[in-house]
Amino acid sequence: MKRIEALQIIAEHTGELPVVVTCAASSRELAAVADGPNHLYLLDAMGLAGSVATGIALAIADTSMRKVVTIEGDGSLLMNPNVLPTAGFLRPEKLVMVLLDNGVYGATANLPTYASSIDLGALAEASGWTVHRTADPDGLRGELETVLSLDGPVLLHVRIEVGNAVDVPKLLEDPVVLGRRFQDWLAARITAPVGAVR
Amino acid sequence: MKGHSVQPNSYAASVARGIWAAQVDLVGYVPSVSVAPVISALVETSGGTSGRSRTVFPLSREEEAAGVLGALPLAGKFGAIVMQDNGFGNALTALTTFNLAYHLPLLIVANTRGGLGEYNSMIHTFSRHAPALLDRVDIPVFEIDRRSAASDWEAVVTEAGVHAQMTFRPAVVLTHFWNTDGKAA
Repeated sequence: MKRIEALQIIAEHTGELPVVVTCAASSRELAAVADGPNHLYLLDAMGLAGSVATGIALAIADTSMRKVVTIEGDGSLLMNPNVLPTAGFLRPEKLVMVLLDNGVYGATANLPTYASSIDLGALAEASGWTVHRTADPDGLRGELETVLSLDGPVLLHVRIEVGNAVDVPKLLEDPVVLGRRFQDWLAARITAPVGAVR
Repeated sequence: MKGHSVQPNSYAASVARGIWAAQVDLVGYVPSVSVAPVISALVETSGGTSGRSRTVFPLSREEEAAGVLGALPLAGKFGAIVMQDNGFGNALTALTTFNLAYHLPLLIVANTRGGLGEYNSMIHTFSRHAPALLDRVDIPVFEIDRRSAASDWEAVVTEAGVHAQMTFRPAVVLTHFWNTDGKAA
């Protein structure tokens, strides 16, 4: 399964959820297949998607929003693997991470990441996450349905092929615009119960 | 931290009051000896124990704190980080390419190291430059020290939070604990 195929399937299952996606090819390819205001594209800040999603998961804990989904790559997760023990400790119930793992740094000549020999799903399990795994489109569809119904933190570890989609345009939007449309989209959908913190 | 009650008139307790008065929803911290009493006060005043409450929690590194607490405004909330100034070295990329780039307000209260009262022979090599580095990346810094009362520290922390929200970016309060009732190092 190519990354862009996986992203298409993820987008089909997360149209009504906030989605935080890591930088470079992951953001570009998601925007190319299914752009939407529920997508927060991190244009840089490599490794921060999981932390940002953790913050959003904590912020929406008392609201009607069901989940927040973050799409990470193996190279990006390895830039900030702290996200795994942090969420294992804080236990944000609404946090779902979909890890698209091809074992290489796709933006930098496919140089290998540690994930070529280290099981990042096992790392998440050791940190207290619930981990599901898949490597094909039908499996991804089914596992997405499953993980979106579980209490977080949940990691869906998806093995994908090496390689970026060709002819995908760069994301050249102002991050302020991207952040604001995401914020407005989320604000219109979260309702805090009476008496909740602010 | 369990069982250590913080004196209500102390500088640490004042900083904690200032953070809450800034209408902060969640506080993440990366510990330091100087801010341990601040963290204790935050935990105590939010009904927690052992370094954690429903709204105050530890994080293992400053850059992830910038991500976790910095993301709150995306969901209509406001966060604060309590940390030590040498952690800005870990956090600069996150602070610039996330918090600043996406115009996300964030209150950061950091104790200083490497100056008066320091015992460590090398920490000044980073901490001495922290204010200039933050200024260089356009993050406003407000410094407070022994020359102002604890009540002033409280007011500065609160107003820095207001400033962060007004200007849609992080704002940093650097607290010099030397010669106050707190520990400098």
